Amino acid sequence: MPNWKTYDKGDELPAEYKKLLLNLMSFQGDSEYAGGQRVAENVQYAPRPEEAYRLNKKVFEEFGHGFYVWNIMQDLGVDVDSRLQELVQHPDNPDPKKVNVINGFRKENWSPMFECWEDVALFSTVVTPAAVAFLGQYRECSYKPWARINVRIHKEEYGHTAFGVWAAKRCVEFADNKDEKLEFMQNRVPKFMQMGLGFYGRPSKGKDASSMFDKYYEYGIKVRTPEQLQAEYLELMEDRLKGVGLEMPKGVEADYDMRVGYDMDEITDVASQSAA
Amino acid sequence: MQTDKEGVTGPVPFPDSLVENGRSVLAKFGYTHQETPYPREDYAEMWEVLKPDFPHRGPGDVPSYDGMSPAQQEAAREYMDQRLVADRRYELCSIGLQDLFEKGINTELVERYTTIRDAYEDSVEDFGAARERLQTLLAAE
Repeated sequence: MPNWKTYDKGDELPAEYKKLLLNLMSFQGDSEYAGGQRVAENVQYAPRPEEAYRLNKKVFEEFGHGFYVWNIMQDLGVDVDSRLQELVQHPDNPDPKKVNVINGFRKENWSPMFECWEDVALFSTVVTPAAVAFLGQYRECSYKPWARINVRIHKEEYGHTAFGVWAAKRCVEFADNKDEKLEFMQNRVPKFMQMGLGFYGRPSKGKDASSMFDKYYEYGIKVRTPEQLQAEYLELMEDRLKGVGLEMPKGVEADYDMRVGYDMDEITDVASQSAA
Repeated sequence: MQTDKEGVTGPVPFPDSLVENGRSVLAKFGYTHQETPYPREDYAEMWEVLKPDFPHRGPGDVPSYDGMSPAQQEAAREYMDQRLVADRRYELCSIGLQDLFEKGINTELVERYTTIRDAYEDSVEDFGAARERLQTLLAAE
């Protein structure tokens, strides 16, 4: 791994570095909170008491992740309170000029993916491992305050995959016909796997390559290639699927249009968003 | 807790309407706002809405509270008591979130919210563990 120059709280940051860093931090902070809102919508599908309590636990954790990121963004001069206000006041359609929510966590993209509790369980089983891999890289990034909070966040995101396995196994446990239930769930895995595969962005090389990856990597803001993240994701997801008794589908392709990850080619000037 | 014009008290609402809506889902399983959560003596009534937490092998084979053995009843009370603890801590999360929304994000409030949600999360884990113990006892019948 390259030896990147690191920065800590209070250090002067190069202008381009700061702009790139804040772009990714804002996507994480805003999307963690918006992700919590989407999970809160899914509480309606909870079929049993423990499921409802555990999903609320996840909501509060996602909000907590957002607060961690926003709190250190303040140290870099960003008005984060306005971001929280925007998301709370316009949960279904926050203004992209004010917050950076990944497309996959926007209501119009998220809600059609969920029709039943099995979908909720499968999201944490199939998609969350991608978040674990993607966000996990920030534990080693060159901006130390962000790296430190992502150690906390990673631990809880990892726990969310355990929730997915638990919830999916309970779906089978409570089914009158367990084989039918497993088949029902197996058929729903690909749509979530498409999301998961799109999470870490386009390849680092070739005609579909992300134009921004090299810049992020050069600064140590991203420290893993999409190819490395994909390998990590698939290994963890396969393990989780096996835990439920499901199989890894073949031939599933990434849905980059959902942009569940935030490998945006365009860079937002985060400092100007609060003034929007 | 807050008091309205008529003097009726209620929980602090979540600043986020999507989260507030989740309260009605918990209510399906018996959640109610309690000014004084303990002691509760309506275990039989509480049990009826919590029974879906337990797998059945046939119609009606998850017993009523009165139909349980003394050991099962003891485990069921522990399970329901843990639920009440989780309910109380759930309401504290709304206070932590309301503070962040009204006073702004800062390290002290973020850490306070972390402490509150950690406590809620611990209570949910304890609720789950109590459910497993009771489930084992019910399956042994």
